[in-house]
Amino acid sequence: MAAVLEREGLLRRLRGDGVPRPAIDPGLAGGLRDWLEDGLVEAVAGLAPGIDVVRVNKESLNQVLLCEAHLVARRNAPRVATVELARGSMVDALFRQWVTIGVIDDPWGDALAAFEVEGDRDGVITFVTGLPATHQRRLRAEVAEHATHISERWPVLSPAWLPRTQERLEVPLCGGRVVLAGVVDLVLGGPAQERASVCLVELKSGARRIEHRPDLHFYALLEALRSGAPPFRIATYYSGTGELDAEPVEEDTLVSALSRALDGAIRLCRVSSGAEPERHPNQLCAWCVGLPGCAPGQQRVGTDVPLVTAGRAETDRGQA
Amino acid sequence: MTTVPARVAWLTDTLLAPATEGVASAELSVLRADLVRDLQALGAELPAGERLQMDGYKIRTAHRNPERCMSFDTFVPSPRSTRRAVGVVAVNRCVHGHSPSPAGAVGDVLAEGVEDVSVAAATAGVRAPWWASWYAGLSGGARAVVCAEAVTWATQLLTAVHWSQVPRPVIGGRDDWWPCPGGTPIVLKGRAEVRSLVGRRPALLVVGTGRCQADWRIELGYPGLVAALGRDAPVAPCRVVGVWPQSGQVRVLPVDVGALRSTATAVVAGVATWVDSRIEAQRRGAPGAPDAVAVSVDGAVA
Repeated sequence: MAAVLEREGLLRRLRGDGVPRPAIDPGLAGGLRDWLEDGLVEAVAGLAPGIDVVRVNKESLNQVLLCEAHLVARRNAPRVATVELARGSMVDALFRQWVTIGVIDDPWGDALAAFEVEGDRDGVITFVTGLPATHQRRLRAEVAEHATHISERWPVLSPAWLPRTQERLEVPLCGGRVVLAGVVDLVLGGPAQERASVCLVELKSGARRIEHRPDLHFYALLEALRSGAPPFRIATYYSGTGELDAEPVEEDTLVSALSRALDGAIRLCRVSSGAEPERHPNQLCAWCVGLPGCAPGQQRVGTDVPLVTAGRAETDRGQA
Repeated sequence: MTTVPARVAWLTDTLLAPATEGVASAELSVLRADLVRDLQALGAELPAGERLQMDGYKIRTAHRNPERCMSFDTFVPSPRSTRRAVGVVAVNRCVHGHSPSPAGAVGDVLAEGVEDVSVAAATAGVRAPWWASWYAGLSGGARAVVCAEAVTWATQLLTAVHWSQVPRPVIGGRDDWWPCPGGTPIVLKGRAEVRSLVGRRPALLVVGTGRCQADWRIELGYPGLVAALGRDAPVAPCRVVGVWPQSGQVRVLPVDVGALRSTATAVVAGVATWVDSRIEAQRRGAPGAPDAVAVSVDGAVA
C-alpha cells in the first residue's frame, strides 16, 4: 500500500512499527543458494568457454524476461541518454547527499559535482549541459522540486541505524560463472542477530510502476544470500509524489524472487552462449531498437519503425 | 545481554583462533633468499634509473589484466580510492569509543583533514593525509559522495567483527614495506585493514572489493608474505582472513611455508609482467608511468 508520508510517518513505516520482525532461519540462505545453483547447473554447463561471467542485475532480468530479443537489441545499441534517466540519476545523487550529510544547498550544482567526482561514467553531465537552454531550465526546476520534497519529507536518519547508500551487492553462483548483482540506494540496520534487522530502500524519481516491486524483491533475495538473513522490510520511495511502498519480506517473497531470478539467469546464460534469442511480442515492442529486424514485433505494432529511434531522443529533448 | 550475529562471531573466532601452522626459520630464510635472487634478476632488467614499488593492487593487475600494466595511469583521487583511507581511521575511532557511529566518525575525519590542510600550509609541523588537499578543494555535492562512500565502507568493516573480543586491534596501521636487498630497485608493500596478535604472531584481516576471485590465495597471501619477509619466523603472521562485504564471502589463508612460497612465485610473475611493461614503455618512448604514481588505485600512499 502506498501512502504520502511526512518524516515521522515515513520513519514508522520503514521501521515497521507494530509488526514483529521475523526470526532468522539459519538454513534459509543456504537452501536458497543451493536451489539457485542446482537450477543453473545445466545452463552454466552450456556456457561457451570464452564467456567469463554472466551478470544478472535488475535491468538485465527485466529485459530478458520481457523478451530475449529485446535484451540483445538493447545490448547491441548505443546507450541513449534521456531526460528521465538524467533526472533519475541526479535525484539519486541528491538523495544520497541528503541521507549522508543532511544538506542540499544547490541541487543542480551538487548533483553535477557528484557525477564529476566519480568520473561521470554514464555521461550525465555531457547530456544535461548539452540540452537546449529552455529544456535545461525545465530539468533544473524538476530536480529542484524533487530535492525540496526529499529535504522536507525525509527525516535525517539516526547514525545508530547505520545508514549506508549505494551499497553494492554481489552474489557469485556456480563458481562465479553467474553473478547476481545490484546497488541498493539505501540500507538501514546492522547485521541480523536472531531477528531480521535490515531495511532496503529504493528511490524512484518517476511514476510508480508495477515492475519496481520485483526489483525490490530481487534485492531482498541478494541481501538474504549475501548476509545469511533476509531484510525485514523493503520499500520504494517516490520522490516526486512522496509515496512510500513498503512491505515486509516473507519466505514467499524470497521464493518468488528466486524463481524469477533463476528463470532470468537461465535465459541470460542461453543468450550469452549465442543461442537465437526467443521473441515475445509485448506492449514495449514499439519502443524496441530491434524492431526493424523483428517480424513478430512488427506484426504486433503494425510498423517496422521503432519509436525509440524515430523520435524518442528528439522527444526527450523536446519535452524536457 | 547483547547477542553477536553468528557470522560476526564466526569471523572473529576464526581470526583469533590459535595458530596451527608455523614457519620454520630455515624455511623462511631459504624462501627469502630465493625471492631476493629472482627479484634481483628482474631488477637488473629494469630500465636504468627506474624503480618498481609493488602493492597488492599491482600484483592483482598483473595477474588479472596484464595489458593494463602498459597503460597504468597517474593516480587521480576519487571517492572509491579514498574510502579505505578515511574508513579505517573512522572505524578505529568507533572501536576505541571516540565516536558512536561510522557516519559521525567519517564526518570528523574528513573535517580534520580539511583543517590539517590549512594548518599544514602554515607550518611544516603538520602533515595532512594524502587525500585531504584534494578533498578540501571539492564542492559540497562531491564531498557528500566522498563521505557516503567512506561511511558505507566503514560500516561494513565495523559490523563485520566482534571488536570487544579482539585484543588490541590495529586498524589501518602502517603498511609493511620490504625493500629487496642489494640495491635492487624493487620494493614490496603489503597492507591489511586489521592486525591483531595470536600469541606472538599477527593475524591479518583484509577487506576485499566486490566478490572473492579465483586468485584469492594470492590476494590474501601477498600481505602475509610482505609481513613475513620483514620479520623473524616466530613472529611471522599466522593467518590472513579475507572478507568481501559486498558478497558476504570470507576466506582464510593459514600462513605456512607452502602459502608463502606459492605467493612468492606469483609475486615474481607479477613483477616480471611489470618489468616487461616498463621495458616496452621505454622502447616506445612513453614516460615511465608507474614510478610517477604517488598513490595506488586502492588508495595506498606511495
